[in-house]
Amino acid sequence: MASSDPNKLMAKADKLTKLSLTRWSADWKSATQLYEQAAIGYRVAKNHENAKIAFEKASKGQEMLSSPWDAAKHMESAAALAKEVGNWTEVADFYKRASELYMVCGRPQPASDALAKGARALEDAVPDEAIQLYTDACSILEEDDKEQMAFDLYRAATCVYIKLEKYTDAATFLLRWGLAADKCSATNSQCKAYLSAIIVYLYAHDFKQAEKCYNDCSQIDVFLRNDHGRCASKLLSAYSEGDIEEIKRLGQSSTISNLDHVIIRLARKLPTGEVCALKTEAAEEQEEPLDENDLT
Amino acid sequence: MSVIDILTRVDAICKKYDKYDVEKQKDVNVAGDDAFARLYAAVEADLESALQKAESASKEKNKASAVAMNAEVRRTKARLLEEVPKLQRLAVKKVKGLSGEELAARNDLVLALPDRIQAIPDGSAPAAKQSGGWAASASRTEIKFDSDGRFDDEYFQQTEESSGFRQEFEMRKIKQDQGLDMISEGLDTLKNMASDMNEELDRQVPLMDEIDTKVDKAAADLKNTNVRLKDTVNQLRSSRNFCIDIILLCIILGIAAYLYNVLKK
Repeated sequence: MASSDPNKLMAKADKLTKLSLTRWSADWKSATQLYEQAAIGYRVAKNHENAKIAFEKASKGQEMLSSPWDAAKHMESAAALAKEVGNWTEVADFYKRASELYMVCGRPQPASDALAKGARALEDAVPDEAIQLYTDACSILEEDDKEQMAFDLYRAATCVYIKLEKYTDAATFLLRWGLAADKCSATNSQCKAYLSAIIVYLYAHDFKQAEKCYNDCSQIDVFLRNDHGRCASKLLSAYSEGDIEEIKRLGQSSTISNLDHVIIRLARKLPTGEVCALKTEAAEEQEEPLDENDLT
Repeated sequence: MSVIDILTRVDAICKKYDKYDVEKQKDVNVAGDDAFARLYAAVEADLESALQKAESASKEKNKASAVAMNAEVRRTKARLLEEVPKLQRLAVKKVKGLSGEELAARNDLVLALPDRIQAIPDGSAPAAKQSGGWAASASRTEIKFDSDGRFDDEYFQQTEESSGFRQEFEMRKIKQDQGLDMISEGLDTLKNMASDMNEELDRQVPLMDEIDTKVDKAAADLKNTNVRLKDTVNQLRSSRNFCIDIILLCIILGIAAYLYNVLKK
């Protein structure tokens, strides 16, 4: 049976499921089996389009048979094949559907895994969609108190943001990562996340934000006392003094070299030329209050 | 070996074994009643030994032992200087059997003592002798003059050596600093790796717990199945059933063979 033409199998299965005068209820059991065999046959023959369709139908069959786990598994296979084909919307849809089915099974971990796989597949093609999927995956895990697993997802999402040069979004996501780390008391990851956020802000020339971020994060004892906190404060003071050498030196320091490699790249490029501008800006701000005093 | 060396050695050996020389001891004891003479003799002996030590110190190649010996000499000098006032008091005292001239001579001797003591070279005085020679402190004024000229040389030599020492010290310190820097970098990396490993292990603890329960369940199921299988096989294996099975099998084969034969014909 397995060696027979997948097309024939598909046709047979379709006949079983199509309702007509002679058939009053679809025979999903045998149909699903036939669909699965056809799908495997197509995959071996590298016929991605048909294999995808076969897997889709098989998944629907499993759903009808009330086995959401198998249905989800088939959906994932269908999605992987859709990726081969290059149909990105279908990829996203399939992975989302698979994740929903996993949730129906009551298994959030595979659900978020499915979304993560989808996001990874879409990273290059449709990065916005990928980010959406990553965010959803993170929320699923957080609801289930499994933040530890979400770290990889946060990391990947941050990389995508930085690739897209959406620095404020990246920084916000990093702060969210810090929050998740805080909940599971992963202090090292938390401090790394905060330091990365400050670096991203600095890279985006947003000195005020960086300072605000630093002030916020210093509320947290762990960060204040940590190596990363000290490095951050040194970086900010070097920035406010306009000391390019110091910034370069800090960029080479070991604290920064232990962060994620995307962040390291940003840090190495850090003194992005506007340091002197920052210094004069700060100086001007100090002068203004004096002027007011003079006037009065 | 020259004659002079032999003479020096003989002198030193004699001095060392003087205490075994009975006649000399008798002489010394003659002056036993005289406290001044006793003390003076002791001070003289100490002075001589200090001088010898100073000579050997100045000949010494090893700087550390030279410094140690010079310190010894200085200590001896300080001690001797303390004894001088005592001697002065004793010198004024009248002792029987002593002429007035000798008394005056004693006073002079005592007065000359401090100078002699000070003259002992201890490496810090500018009147240091370069080479251990026979010259006693008797000719010290000449030596003073000489060492004034040599004063600069010797000082210079010391600064050369000490500056070389200082440079080496600085270089070693810099090398140590570099090494410590490298060690600190390595330790930083280690620390970061260790905290990452810590978090990873924390992450895996609940997973392991889950695996634990699942495996326990699977093991229990397996045990159950095994027991049931054992029962079934035992039932099957009971010899009566087995024999019956074999007999029936033979009968069937016999029937089949018979049919085959019949059909073949």
